Amino acid sequence: MDFLANLTLGFSVALTPFNLLMAAAGVTIGTLIGALPGVGPVSGVALLLPLTFGMNPVSGIIMLAALYAGSMYGGTITSVLINTPGESASVVTCIDGYQMALQGRAGPALGVAAIGSFVAGTVGVVLLMLMSPLLARWALSFGPPETFALMLLGLTTVTGLTGEDALKGYVSMVLGLMLAMAGFDIISGDARFTFGVTEMLDGVEFLPVAIGLFGLGEVLVGAEQVADMRILRARYGLRDVMLTAADWARSRWAIVRGTALGFVIGVLPGAGPTIASFLAYTLEKKVSPHRQEFGRGAIEGVAAPESANNAASSAAFVPMLTLGIPGSATTAVMLGGLMMWGLRPGPLLFEKNPDFVWGLIASLYLANVMLLVLNIAFIPMFVRALRIPYAVLMPLIIIFCVTGAYSLNNKVWDVGVMLVFGVLGYAMKKLGYSPAALTLALVLGPLAERALRQSLIISDAGVAIFFMRPISAVLTLLALAAVAVPAARALRQAVRGRAPAEAA
Amino acid sequence: MRRADQIAGAGLLLLGLGFAVAGLRSYTYWSPTGPGSGFLPFWLGLTMMLLAGSLLVRSTRGGGLDVAWLPTGRGRRKLLAVLGVTVALVAVLKVTGMAVGTVLFLVAILRLVEGLRWSSTLAIAVGTAAANYLIFARWLRVPFPEGVLGF
Repeated sequence: MDFLANLTLGFSVALTPFNLLMAAAGVTIGTLIGALPGVGPVSGVALLLPLTFGMNPVSGIIMLAALYAGSMYGGTITSVLINTPGESASVVTCIDGYQMALQGRAGPALGVAAIGSFVAGTVGVVLLMLMSPLLARWALSFGPPETFALMLLGLTTVTGLTGEDALKGYVSMVLGLMLAMAGFDIISGDARFTFGVTEMLDGVEFLPVAIGLFGLGEVLVGAEQVADMRILRARYGLRDVMLTAADWARSRWAIVRGTALGFVIGVLPGAGPTIASFLAYTLEKKVSPHRQEFGRGAIEGVAAPESANNAASSAAFVPMLTLGIPGSATTAVMLGGLMMWGLRPGPLLFEKNPDFVWGLIASLYLANVMLLVLNIAFIPMFVRALRIPYAVLMPLIIIFCVTGAYSLNNKVWDVGVMLVFGVLGYAMKKLGYSPAALTLALVLGPLAERALRQSLIISDAGVAIFFMRPISAVLTLLALAAVAVPAARALRQAVRGRAPAEAA
Repeated sequence: MRRADQIAGAGLLLLGLGFAVAGLRSYTYWSPTGPGSGFLPFWLGLTMMLLAGSLLVRSTRGGGLDVAWLPTGRGRRKLLAVLGVTVALVAVLKVTGMAVGTVLFLVAILRLVEGLRWSSTLAIAVGTAAANYLIFARWLRVPFPEGVLGF
């Protein structure tokens, strides 16, 4: 039994006291970050990444993965009690979750979300565990053309799916690739786009960029909002979150459907928990026998999306670990972290660093158990944290951004880079560009360039090489389709003389 | 937003042009062994020109009202204040050191921008600076900028 041996190895790593502590810290901070509006999982991972530098990579990824899972649970609390999503994957939970809370049923809404999240998270990890080694084995046969085609597909699908405006998404992606060109060229040794600045020889480093875009940038967007939020008075003690038999009967299949759909969506490169939660809600609204209650406090409307976002967050690790292609913005930042720790994501990770991969998988099981307990028994504690005014939280996050960026190389230069990208992130967010696409492109840029140039060096037929090998041909065609479909739609609209709706 | 798109489109068009030219002239487009260091920059430049051009055309032909995207009134004042204090912190970091810089930054934001009471302001500022020092400088051994005071 291969799996059993691997899983034993994983638990032997995950159950060491320090790693258990890191998982516990991750789920607690993650639930908090998920619950606080204005900081989502991407910001959380980017902000905590500097803390992991001194650690063993396994402990680092355990904390970050636990944080990611925790944020999916925590987002619900805010959606249900304040009608403001704590993070984007809980947007759709506001609809029926807040209605339930208004009817005095905040407890069951939070309870079903926690149980659904647990089921989905756990099933997600089981599937992750079964699927990843097979995918990794298949990906081992990839040469440079397949690698490049895969990255192209990852870049184009992330870009097409994350932004509200496809054109601006692609602009963001190409901008990220351009930033990735700066610094020493690995193949020729040329120093590119350094403008004589010594610090630029290493290129534009990923961490200050991510902290700027997702930390400072988000905070600046929050800073200009003046309104304060009101927390609904509700009962969410241990006894209140228990489900009645009727609630359970109604949510059971919603959880199953949400889990299945969430996992499938999460595995696709580019489509993460947010999209999964929206699709699960839509699906549930179609198939539920109580569909007329949707929008007025249907418990299925909470169970399905909350299960889906957790299944998707587990599934997002599949492409990241096996292929080195992140399935969501958060895993893109984690991928950057992996490279900073000196690991090479991709199929070889399973052979070269089994303790890392299986330790991560085992701690995801543990994290889900911890989260179930935390989100059933300790909800009042997190609600109290929500009372911290944003006015206090905001400067604390900025201090964390400054310290985190500084700690990379102990240079104020990196803090300056963080600041520049903070302002850029603010503008990108307000104008409908995609910081996620830029980050992904910056992370994948150097790897994609190397694969592209290696492919062309071994090719006798120029770029035709990407179409002459079966796997790379399929991947390249899919990538081209991901660009061509929205482009054709935009063109048709332009020809008809109708302006596409401006993204607000 | 329409004006912002036009400005961004024009700026990105120039950036794309710069990349394409640099790819051909400053770096090697094609070396004897294959594509050189200028190969991808050149193509990225061309792609950006295409995208930026589309953005420019779309925003110009789009018509309609120009929706404001920058905040006004109190929101703008607050945004600028927060940004200004943050820039100031980064600028003086080497002089004040991280610990003093953190306290000054938090006092400026909490007391001057947000109008918290002095007692809460000082408690949060000193507490954060201490926690930050313990986590990063002590536990993670990041050599913090020390400033003229020696800490």
